Amino acid sequence: MSATAYVFYYGMITAAATALGAIPFALVRNVSPRVVSSSNAIASGLMLGACFGLVAEGTELGAWQTGLGATAGVAFILVAQRLLASSDVGFGDVRGAGARKMIMIVVVMTVHSIAEGVAIGASFAGGLTLATVITVAIAVHNVPEGLAISAVLRPQGASVAACAWWSFFSSLPQPLVAVPAFLFVDAFAPTLPYGIGFAAGAMVFMVLVELLPEAYEDGHRGTVSLLMSLSLIAMVAFQRLL
Amino acid sequence: MAQTLVVLVAATGAALAAALGVVPLIGRPRPPTAWLAWANALAAGMMLAGAFALVDPVPRAAALPFALGAVLGIGFLYGSRAFSQTGELALNELESAATEYGYEVLLVASLHAAAEGVAIGAAMASDLGFGIFIAIALALHNVPEGTVLAAVFRSRGVGTARAATLAVVANLGQIVLAVTTFAVVVAAPAMLPWALGFAAGALIYLVAADLLPDSYATAGPTSIALTVVLAIWMFGLMHGVLRG
Repeated sequence: MSATAYVFYYGMITAAATALGAIPFALVRNVSPRVVSSSNAIASGLMLGACFGLVAEGTELGAWQTGLGATAGVAFILVAQRLLASSDVGFGDVRGAGARKMIMIVVVMTVHSIAEGVAIGASFAGGLTLATVITVAIAVHNVPEGLAISAVLRPQGASVAACAWWSFFSSLPQPLVAVPAFLFVDAFAPTLPYGIGFAAGAMVFMVLVELLPEAYEDGHRGTVSLLMSLSLIAMVAFQRLL
Repeated sequence: MAQTLVVLVAATGAALAAALGVVPLIGRPRPPTAWLAWANALAAGMMLAGAFALVDPVPRAAALPFALGAVLGIGFLYGSRAFSQTGELALNELESAATEYGYEVLLVASLHAAAEGVAIGAAMASDLGFGIFIAIALALHNVPEGTVLAAVFRSRGVGTARAATLAVVANLGQIVLAVTTFAVVVAAPAMLPWALGFAAGALIYLVAADLLPDSYATAGPTSIALTVVLAIWMFGLMHGVLRG
């Protein structure tokens, strides 16, 4: 198997791992407003925790580039929110505000995977010896990202299979972008801090403007804060240990 | 010993900064409630970025004690809020005349100060320069927090100077906890990830429990989210300039 094929297959494995995040939601049947609130709180914590890791990684490569990328990420969510609010969008059987949030989380997490795809490709360029280790690390790291996506989709009425599919879909850019990033690492590597910053800015803003406000609306603030902060810390510790 | 003095001075400076929060309220005993929402959002962004910075000095091997410390910090605040029945307390009520409300706000403010004190002490123990940076960031954070506190006092008929003094007094616990945390961690370096975790968890919990919910309700998600991002951006800029 050629080195390029390795990068692609390994990228597909990491994408498939994202779908595992949907599994816990097989247990969630009764979707009350309280469950929606708790799910949003957990998704918020996981996404903010992921951004802690992204920002640390981005600033190591270039602090100003990361900041610039993050500002663009915030602007991207502001524009996407306006565009989606003014048109009557649907996601599956869901319409209106719920559909808007579903589309946004899938788009945000997919865009975020593009940056990760560049990271995978660039790191593979260092040699194939560490390939398995890197793949396993990223695959495991993808599971809670699938959890965050499913935590938003499932309470809106998406099936577990649909949650798994969209989680997988959001990570597809990893194999697709990893290959060109691996082949043309000199051209792609300098874009990495911008991409990482963009992903972090978009994720933080998505949490602040969509997920948290809705979590507070239907839940006790003590519960929301507890779930959000615990899942944030869990994500940070998880990423540190990998 | 000289280092302890640095901690004492930096934490005192951070506590005193709360007095500056009264400036926007001069001649304005009842500011528009949206101001308080934006002030809380600024404070929230600074606090969130501060929590992020506290993760940085944690080595990989210490990730578990860090996480356990964070769970303790979150649990401590959740527990003390549930126990004192202030779990749903709004920090922006200018209309409430109840004596109880004033005391509850002071209690909550002192819990905030406690968490910030642990953050300053732990950061100082990890690296003095980093600790001074965190103290400056939390001093800046204390200004909008002081505005909110002072506005609650001002609306209850307290004069400007006294409101500024009370805002500082509510933050005094910060000094004690900063010095204590520093002393404990210097004496027992194995406590460092625990202390950093405790502070990070507590700061994140307070952002979620106190600073954001009422702000969203008052000023709407978009302006609050933008204000939080602005504060995070300011923190990042400060970090870039002061810490390279």
